Amino acid sequence: MIDFLTAHGALSPFYAGVLRASGVTVTASVAAFCLGMALGVTLLIIRTLCSAPFRVLIRLYVSAMRGTPLLIQLLIAYYVIPSILDIQLSPMQAGILALACNTSAYISEILRAALTTISWGQIAAARALGMRTWTTWRHILLPQILHRSIPPLTNEFTILLKASSLLSIISVTELSTLARNVNLQSNLPLQVFAATAATYFIILFCVSSISRAVERRFAKVLPNAH
Amino acid sequence: MLIDIEIVREALPVLLKGLKVTALVSVIGIPAGILIGGVFAYLAESRSRVAQLVTKSYVELVRNIPFLIVIYMSYFGLPKLGIMTSAFYVAIGTTAFYTGGYFCEVMRAALHSVPKGQIQASRSLGMSPWTIQCHIVIPQLLSFLIPPATSLVIMMFKDTAIFSVVTLPELTYQSNLLTSETFAYVEVLGTAALLYWLSSVILDATGACLEHRVARWRQ
Repeated sequence: MIDFLTAHGALSPFYAGVLRASGVTVTASVAAFCLGMALGVTLLIIRTLCSAPFRVLIRLYVSAMRGTPLLIQLLIAYYVIPSILDIQLSPMQAGILALACNTSAYISEILRAALTTISWGQIAAARALGMRTWTTWRHILLPQILHRSIPPLTNEFTILLKASSLLSIISVTELSTLARNVNLQSNLPLQVFAATAATYFIILFCVSSISRAVERRFAKVLPNAH
Repeated sequence: MLIDIEIVREALPVLLKGLKVTALVSVIGIPAGILIGGVFAYLAESRSRVAQLVTKSYVELVRNIPFLIVIYMSYFGLPKLGIMTSAFYVAIGTTAFYTGGYFCEVMRAALHSVPKGQIQASRSLGMSPWTIQCHIVIPQLLSFLIPPATSLVIMMFKDTAIFSVVTLPELTYQSNLLTSETFAYVEVLGTAALLYWLSSVILDATGACLEHRVARWRQ
């Protein structure tokens, strides 16, 4: 019963591949999160600054992304998008694309909630000082929005990293794929998936520690926030 | 890229059959999870150290382990423990387990939204704990509870798509079968996505309506 824990037991293929597979999981999640952040900020700016037709389009986009399962989005990114646009997408690229689009909708909602907590007076003051819209966003609004959003954004990243396990379905060789393959070889589902769950647990524990560090760092740069 | 309406027309009945299974799993699994989460929320607020520890580990497990791994573990692992089961029961069980962990957090936040002074005041008026909960606490926390509970319900409804990997014949599984037969990815996946979207929008509207009702009822 205990020998599964040793490297020579049936789980040795798992231990051999776990670092690499975790690397793929983390890489895909971080890449998707960065893309999602860029897209989410863009969506937020368009939503606040542009005219009604754009706002309606963005609301539709956000609603569609939040209303359909990620699995369906992954399948669409992997099978439908390449055939419509006539391009080649590797499973990893399609996966990152789908994760990024999915998370951007949630991120833009998180940022929008943070924007509503900033008082209108700050924007008026910036304008009175002669700042342009872009300068106001870059120096006044975005730093505060990002700082206030760190806890919900961490939560979103946690959800994203967990959701990246679905990349195994479009044959990206990440952590869940490894677990499924080792389970097929060893037929020890409880041990294999418990080890996988523990790996995810450790990764996400590190993520929440990093997030707290970032928040402290931000608090030093923005002494007056909160 | 043209869309073949004929394929959509043929696929729709099969997809609707899948949607029925999706709905069935959600209708049984999610309320069961809400019940479990509610019980755990009260356990977390109790004075017992053991109960607090159990709740904390339950919530942390759910928050840090992918749904897919929980599903694999139950689907492949339970038979190893001598529990014979089917994809359908695994689906309901894991949905309830996962919803419970998230709802416990939502419910705890809602419980904290009711000022402690009110509970102390009710106690000093001689109300029983049951009466305090039913007449003082729960009516007040409803409006606080409904928005996050709605998004949780929608999240879990969408997550039932993952059961396609353990061959539960729900919407995503049916659309996978159809695409492997017809290769009409655009039509089939598009229709499936629209069905999910429509259902989520309806759930969202129901939540908003409930919230409105509760807000009016409290005045």
